[in-house]
Amino acid sequence: MAEDVVFAPVRVLAEGIRARRLSPVALAETFLDRLERLGPRYNAVVTVTRARALEQARRAEAEIAAGRYRGPLHGIPYGAKDLLATSGGIPTTWGAAPFRDRVFDFDATVILKLEAAGAVLCAKLAMVELAGGMGYRQPNAAFTGPGVNPWNREAWSGGSSSGSGSAVAAGLVPFAVGSETWGSILSPAGNCGVSGLRPTYGRVSRHGAMALCWTLDKLGPLALTADDCGLVLEAIAGRDPADPTTMDRLYRYPGAGPAGRRFRFGVLRGVTDGCEDAVRENFARSLEVLKGLGTVDEVTLPDLPYDDITRTILFAEAASAFEDLIESGGIAGLTAPEDRYTAYARDAILAKDYLKALRLRGVMAREVDRVLAPLDALVAPGRSTVAAMLGGEVRSAIRGTARDVMGAVGNGAGLPAVAVPNGFGARGLPTSLQFMGRAWEENTVLAAAAAYQSATDWHARRPAEV
Amino acid sequence: MTEAEAVRAEVETLLALVRERYGSRLDAEQLAGVRTSIEGIVQASRALRAVRLGNADEPAQPFGAYRADP
Repeated sequence: MAEDVVFAPVRVLAEGIRARRLSPVALAETFLDRLERLGPRYNAVVTVTRARALEQARRAEAEIAAGRYRGPLHGIPYGAKDLLATSGGIPTTWGAAPFRDRVFDFDATVILKLEAAGAVLCAKLAMVELAGGMGYRQPNAAFTGPGVNPWNREAWSGGSSSGSGSAVAAGLVPFAVGSETWGSILSPAGNCGVSGLRPTYGRVSRHGAMALCWTLDKLGPLALTADDCGLVLEAIAGRDPADPTTMDRLYRYPGAGPAGRRFRFGVLRGVTDGCEDAVRENFARSLEVLKGLGTVDEVTLPDLPYDDITRTILFAEAASAFEDLIESGGIAGLTAPEDRYTAYARDAILAKDYLKALRLRGVMAREVDRVLAPLDALVAPGRSTVAAMLGGEVRSAIRGTARDVMGAVGNGAGLPAVAVPNGFGARGLPTSLQFMGRAWEENTVLAAAAAYQSATDWHARRPAEV
Repeated sequence: MTEAEAVRAEVETLLALVRERYGSRLDAEQLAGVRTSIEGIVQASRALRAVRLGNADEPAQPFGAYRADP
C-alpha cells in the first residue's frame, strides 16, 4: 500500500474506503507494520493489538463489500491511550510498572463506541504513568521509557498522552484517543505538531478509563486535522449510563462549516506572558491569520487564583483516586523518582480548602462563560514552550513551574478546546495555537480551527525521519 | 507573626502530619521534596482562602439522591 496513505487525514482515508479504493485489511497491515517497526523508536506503543485489529479490519472489509458502510471511521485504524480498558487479554497498564501485567475483562465505553463505528484498534499507546497525576518532573516517567518526539528525537512527546501524540505525528495511526485532566491532550498535540481536541467535560464517557480526577478527566481525539477530531468525537460522544457525568446532549459533527464564516476571537490580556519568544512570535503571526477570518479583541478575566483552584482539585482527587497505591507504598514501583513520594504531600490538603476550590470553580465557570458569551473562542498559545528535552525538566502549571491560565480555566470549568500546529520554535520543535469555547461548543472551536488550517499549512508538515 | 513565619509554621505542621504517616518510607531527599510540595499546597490554600464567597456559593459539584429502580 502506498506510503501516501500514512499521512492522509481520516476524512481522505474514509472516502477511499467508502469508494472501495482502499482495503481496511491492507490499511491495518500498513499501520500495524509501522507500529511494530517504528513504535519503539518513539516509545509510543505499549501493545500492538494485531489480532484484534485484523479481525476488526476483515469484518469492516466484508461489511463494506456487502454494502453496509457504517460511516467515516469504518475500517480506519487507531490507537488508544493505555488507560482505556480493553478485553481479550490485551493489557491495560496505565503506563505504570505496578500495573504492567493487568488485564481487564471488559472494554471501555469509548473502545466499544469506536468498534461500533467500525474503527480498527491497532495499538494501546504509551502514556506518562498514571497520567502524570503523581507529580512527575521529567519525561522519563513511564515504564515504557520517555515519549520521544518525531520532530526531534532528543525531545519529549508528552504528556501525558505521549504515545497518542507521537503515534499520530509519526504516521503510526491516523488518529488516537487520549485523555486530559489538565493539559494531557493539548500538550502532546502541541509538542508533536498534530491536532488535539479536549471535549467538554461530560461529552465523552469515561467508563473504563483510569480515573485520575473524577471532576476533571476528559477523553478526546488526536489526529492530523481539526476536522478529523470532529469525525472521531461524533463516534465517541454521548450519554452513557455507566458514567453519570455524561450529559444527554446529542452530538453531531457537521463538517468544517461554510467557507467564509466570520469568527469572533478573544485573547486574554497577558496570555503570552512567560511564553518562549518563538511561541509568542508564532502566536502573533497566528493572530494576523485569524484577523483575516474575523475579529480579534483583547478580553480580561477577573482576578481569581485560577491555577490554585484547578491544582487543588487535581491534587486532592488524584490522592483519593490512588489512595490504595499511595498508602500501601505501591508508588515506590513507579518509574520517575519524584512519583515515588510526591503524592504523600497531598495529605496536607485540607477538606475545607478542597471545598473552597470547588466553590470557586463555580465562580470561575460563570466568569469565563460571561467572557466567552459574545465570542466564538478564546485563542492562545497551546503551550508556553516547545517540548522539553528528554534529559530536562518538564515545566508544568500543575506543579506551578509554568503559567497556564487557559489550561486552569479550561479544565477547571470543563470547557472544550482544540490545539493545532502554528509553526516551529527552538530545535525544530512545533508550537501550537488553541481555540477554547463555551461548554458544548466543540463544533464552533473545530470550525474555527479548521478555518485556520484552511488558511495555513502547518498541519501538513511532516517530520523528516518518519 | 509575619506572613512568612505564618506560612512556615503551617508548612511545618502539615509536614509533621505527613512525616507521621509516611516518614518511615522517606529519605532526607524525598522528605525535602515533600516539604517543597507542601509549601506549594500551603501557598495555594492561602490564595483560595483570600477570596471571599457568600453563604450561597455552593461547590460546583453535582450530587443527586440515589434510588435504584423501581
